[in-house]
Amino acid sequence: MLMMNQGVNTQTIASVDPNSLEGRYVVDVSQGQTSSYNPTAYESEAASWTMHRVDNHSTENGILSNSSYHHDHQTQQLARSAQDSLNTASLAGSSTQGTMSVTQDHSSYAAYNPTDPYGYGSSGYSSYYNNGYQQQPNHAYSQQQPSHSYSQQQPSHSYSQQQPSHSYSSTGGAYQNTGAPYQPLSSFQNTGSYTGTTSYSTTYYNPGDYQTAGGYPSSGYSNQTSLWNDPNNANYTSQQYSTYAPDTTSAYSSGTAASTSMNYEQHYKQWADYYSQTEVSCAPGTEHLSAASTSNLGSAVSGVYPTSNTQPPASFTPASWRPESASSELPSLQTGATISSTHNGWKQGTPSFQNHHASPMQPHFQISLESKASYDNIQEQQQTAPQAPNSQFPAAHQVTQSYQSTLQNAPSLDTRRVSRMQIPTNPRIASNLALGLSKTNKDGPTNSAAAKPAYISVSMPKPNDKVLSNDATNSMLKPGMFPNSLRRYVERAFNLCKDDTQRVACQAIMKEIITKATADGTLNTRDWDAEPLFAIPNAEAVNMDSQCPTPVSSLSRYKRSPGRRSKSRWEPLPEEKSVDKPVSISNDIVKYDGWERKPPSVNSESKWNALNNMKFSLLEQRFPSKNTQRPAKRQHLADGLNAANNDASSDSDKEQSLTAYYSSAISIANTPEEKKRRESRSKRFEKGQGHRAEINHLKQKNAGAENLYSRRASALMLNKSFDDSGSKAVEDIDWDALTVKGTCQEIEKRYLRLTSAPDPSTVRPEEVLEKALLMVQNSQKNYLYKCDQLKSIRQDLTVQRIQNQLTVKVYETHARLSLEAGDLPEYNQCQSQLKTLYAEGIEGCHMEFAAYNLLCVILHSNNHRDLVSSMSRLTEGAKKDKAVKHALAVRAAVTSGNYVMFFRLYKDGPNLNTCLMDLYVEKMRYKAVSCMSRSYRPTIPISYIARVLGFSRTSDGNDEKDSDGSGLVECVEWMNTHGACLTSDSCGEIQLDTKASSSSLYMPEPEDAVAHGDANLAVNDFLTRTSL
Amino acid sequence: MAYLSMGEAHRRITEYLNRFSDAVSFQDGASLKQLLSVSSNSPSLLSLADSLNVFQDANRLIKQSDKYSQFGEITAPFFRCLQSYRIGNLLDAYHAFEKAANAFLPEFRNWESAWALEALYVIAYEIRILAERADRELASNGKSPEKLKGAGSFLMKVFGVLAGKGPKRVGALYVTCQLFKIYFKLGTVHLCRSVIRSIETARIFDFEEFPKRDKVTYMYYTGRLEVFNENFPAADHKLSYALMHCNPHHEANIRMILKYLIPVKLSIGILPQDRLLEKYGLIEYSNVVQALKRGDLRLLRQALQEHEDRFLRSGVFLVLEKLELQVYQRLLKKIYIIQKQRDPSKAHQMKLEVIVKALKWLEIDMDLDEVECIVAILIYKNLVKGYFAHKSKVVVLSKQDPFPKLNAKPVNS
Repeated sequence: MLMMNQGVNTQTIASVDPNSLEGRYVVDVSQGQTSSYNPTAYESEAASWTMHRVDNHSTENGILSNSSYHHDHQTQQLARSAQDSLNTASLAGSSTQGTMSVTQDHSSYAAYNPTDPYGYGSSGYSSYYNNGYQQQPNHAYSQQQPSHSYSQQQPSHSYSQQQPSHSYSSTGGAYQNTGAPYQPLSSFQNTGSYTGTTSYSTTYYNPGDYQTAGGYPSSGYSNQTSLWNDPNNANYTSQQYSTYAPDTTSAYSSGTAASTSMNYEQHYKQWADYYSQTEVSCAPGTEHLSAASTSNLGSAVSGVYPTSNTQPPASFTPASWRPESASSELPSLQTGATISSTHNGWKQGTPSFQNHHASPMQPHFQISLESKASYDNIQEQQQTAPQAPNSQFPAAHQVTQSYQSTLQNAPSLDTRRVSRMQIPTNPRIASNLALGLSKTNKDGPTNSAAAKPAYISVSMPKPNDKVLSNDATNSMLKPGMFPNSLRRYVERAFNLCKDDTQRVACQAIMKEIITKATADGTLNTRDWDAEPLFAIPNAEAVNMDSQCPTPVSSLSRYKRSPGRRSKSRWEPLPEEKSVDKPVSISNDIVKYDGWERKPPSVNSESKWNALNNMKFSLLEQRFPSKNTQRPAKRQHLADGLNAANNDASSDSDKEQSLTAYYSSAISIANTPEEKKRRESRSKRFEKGQGHRAEINHLKQKNAGAENLYSRRASALMLNKSFDDSGSKAVEDIDWDALTVKGTCQEIEKRYLRLTSAPDPSTVRPEEVLEKALLMVQNSQKNYLYKCDQLKSIRQDLTVQRIQNQLTVKVYETHARLSLEAGDLPEYNQCQSQLKTLYAEGIEGCHMEFAAYNLLCVILHSNNHRDLVSSMSRLTEGAKKDKAVKHALAVRAAVTSGNYVMFFRLYKDGPNLNTCLMDLYVEKMRYKAVSCMSRSYRPTIPISYIARVLGFSRTSDGNDEKDSDGSGLVECVEWMNTHGACLTSDSCGEIQLDTKASSSSLYMPEPEDAVAHGDANLAVNDFLTRTSL
Repeated sequence: MAYLSMGEAHRRITEYLNRFSDAVSFQDGASLKQLLSVSSNSPSLLSLADSLNVFQDANRLIKQSDKYSQFGEITAPFFRCLQSYRIGNLLDAYHAFEKAANAFLPEFRNWESAWALEALYVIAYEIRILAERADRELASNGKSPEKLKGAGSFLMKVFGVLAGKGPKRVGALYVTCQLFKIYFKLGTVHLCRSVIRSIETARIFDFEEFPKRDKVTYMYYTGRLEVFNENFPAADHKLSYALMHCNPHHEANIRMILKYLIPVKLSIGILPQDRLLEKYGLIEYSNVVQALKRGDLRLLRQALQEHEDRFLRSGVFLVLEKLELQVYQRLLKKIYIIQKQRDPSKAHQMKLEVIVKALKWLEIDMDLDEVECIVAILIYKNLVKGYFAHKSKVVVLSKQDPFPKLNAKPVNS
């Protein structure tokens, strides 16, 4: 079947014009995803997927995914819906798989989404295109996003392979451009032996992707890089695959930035790995390939199909898919299943084969659509494949993602095709190979186009514009420079296209117009903005896209959450966990990228870039090590950031990659364009480097730690990247999206302040937290340890948004502990939390803490208004409570200065009221002694003072004899330190000379006073804390 | 709503627009004020609102002539406000009114004379009222009420326009009072400080030149602030000022002032006549006053407990609670007088046991230590002159004025 499909695809591709393909893609993006997934072909696979998915569901990722989905929906309903549909499909099938990947993605998404809305304004797009590539990073996102997502996944997962695949997806655009060359590739893919070749193609793409990714980080570069990548891809596809992969990649990377180069190198390595893998797996792979390819085909088809649905492109087997596509979710599942199967294959050893196959399959599909699309698919598949090795489920997720990316790519392909329209016919592909820059330019357009397609599918008008602009930009890049107005014009034209057929027609017309304009030299002079649009057949396809996605998205959200849960199960398993998580992340990212590309892409792009940068750096680091190692090992390496860091091989790889990158960079650097780009890039680079530094830092920190830490680090990195991109306002963060369902089973966990979205694998679920609380309560260790543990419990509760009796218990426990330790700041935190928790009606020791609160206000804030207001808030019932009564009595004693009453209350305070009073004792005693020395004459026996002021241990006179001594000594000591004048009377009893003391009393400086006022920050104490 | 013909609606709207532009061109602040007071529910505005609901395209009318469109930025949102207000959509009404007010402010700034102060007052008042109502609407919908806060920041802008030199400064105090009302309602009284500072430190303008009603309101609120701070002399001064200048016919206002002034006066040893309490319905204080007169600690505690909620809400609870020491003083004084009647030579020596016994009669159970402590505090706070001999458990009172009067000074704290 796969072979058949591929063949069909290739044929269809050949038959279909690039333009038509583009148009289809655009349309497909929205519909395609939904419909394509449905394909029944996968149903059988779907079952397997469901199994996997179930597992995924068990993991907690699902929750995250849900939240993230929400975001997506909001920002880009269309895109999201498409993605969601994919996700949902996966979810529906297995639900878990989708969720798995989704979860991580969600976190990232949430961040993205917020950004998207902002960034996304149409202006953002225009700027995108116009700016070209300052914003291109964003654009790049659409392409890069996939790559980014992958990169992210890789960091977390250590998916060296996946990353390449990601890069592929991004480069997908380039591939599309190279459609012709790719077709051969697709043929390769079809043949089992081809896996190797396919891998090459993918590798090429990967380099491109990587470059783009790198470029994105660098910022200015994204376009250029993408361009570069595309040329590379084109070149590669046409010829030099093996050679190009390294060279071109390096060159590209240089164009983008050092970071990109890094990526490239890694990519190369990865590619090499891939190749090796693919080769090895070939034999087994063939079988798998068939399955994988089928699945891939399905996925590819899905991507293609959307377009086909809207458009006539029945040529593809997709037609069958299309019917299936009716349920987008199913298709995604199926694809996911196929992917998973491929993944499985990878794991088995054949995996490489499967992956390859899958990629070929995708290429076929994409090829059918466009060469680029196929590439994207391939990349995606590869990515998924890496993920698959980690966990079949993740793989499934990845697959879905890959589908999305394919979809995106498809659009990009379309746009590229527009440019390519010229290009394919043009000898430029060859020239591109020769001319790194020129090629890169083309690629850039393609990339941007790819990004645009995503947009198109998602946000009806904007995406189209973007796509158009991308196309235009691509075309411009190819010929030299198309004016922005032309881009807009093209965008407008495409916007009007309602379905794929229209787009195809539109593209054809556009080509004519542009060629004409170029021929008569009016291309740059004409006022394209004012140019009337040619008539377009229909204008409904766009709407279709938008409609379809939204429902799907909602579904996907839901489905994803289960998937996350499944993750949790996996987590316990070290390898699987790491793999799964990364995979899921990458998948999510990919998906998001795809989705975001459409409408949100603008906003998200910057974030994505940041993320990409981050990820890339990580990926790069990881990749080298992975490349050197076997595929399986690679995964492991990728999984553990630490591992990558620790690996000497990785370092050497990096160096190599760097050198390669630099050399390539130098070669590239000559063009004036390149120089400009460099400037803009350098800025981005700074950012990217910063990211990397952060990442490294994180890694180092976590190096010693376990999986949890590495995961967290990756999560942190994600967050940071978000922050960096960070124009998003706090209120835009979708907290639902950031809600995590923890999977960590360890009872003990150190507190580490979250600086990023929480990683479910480091978060303990409620049952574990309960045990942890018990552990802390029964622990014999000191307060600092308990405080640390409780804070981590609180954190886990917070990120999982658990607000129930357990939460109250934890806060109460912590508040009590901090009271016992006299840690007021910590207590205040707990108290304020408890206030809201009680206000929500959760039961706890409400009265006890009302009393504490009262005491706190009375004794420590000394604010009459606060006191009055908190008193007025007490209910009648509360006033009858023993603890509250006590607190109110203390208040009365304090306001009247009744020290006798105060110290009586001090001695029999319920609960921990005494602890709070402790903090006021010194002040009260001083006041009391001042008062006494004014009003008593001539002397007061110390024994009386010791008794009244609570120095003696026992309450009041009865047991005085027993405790008398110690109380007296303490009291005398206290008197001495406060400058009191003591005398002895005839009986030898020590007396306070009140008259003399009245003028000599003073409040001594606290012994533990520190200059900064907070003894807790004292160095020694700090060190003891940290050494815990 | 009675049927309103389109023509009639049109006529009413144009009439309003005419009146608005006439008021501005003739600098007729009083007319303008009437045109802007949304919540006054004046018949003309109500009918205008109905007309607006009939004649939906009022904006077109505004744009028709320069005369109208000159103030289109004020009237257009104002119309929307009227419409929303009429149909009970207070949130939208607030939003629209805020827009109109924001458009009005620069116009006001550009008018050199202060003729439009009255109109500005209305705007300041209306925005507060609308914000309060909008908040109520929001709260009933389960949303967080935040419009009053927004109104507060708008009024701060208005204050900025008025607070400079020139004739418009007279209006600053009115806006300040509106701000006080908002801040007290929101419980963010700390925000009052900056406004107070700019009013009280400005030398350009004598406080006495502000309108009387504003001065009274201002003094009332600042006096309340001083009560919170337990700065009784200052509170006494401000609240007394408010009482003196308050329109005697506004009994509700007088009562509000007395509510705070009485505790302040009590805490500096000045007791009100029962008549006053009765006249203004402040019976809750009468037992407190009685307790002070009699030295009846039990009565004081009862009174405090009885009206605890009320006192806590108005924020005078702590002030009244501190009267306890004065009650102790009165009790000791009574004992002293009795002792003096029996044996003048030993009257200045008061045994602790006697005090404990006296308290027992009042059904207040305190042991020697506690009473000793109370006595020590009384001496320490200068409510009793003398000293306490621990050995013999005797309070030795000064022979001269053992129980000094407070004389309008607060108890030493």
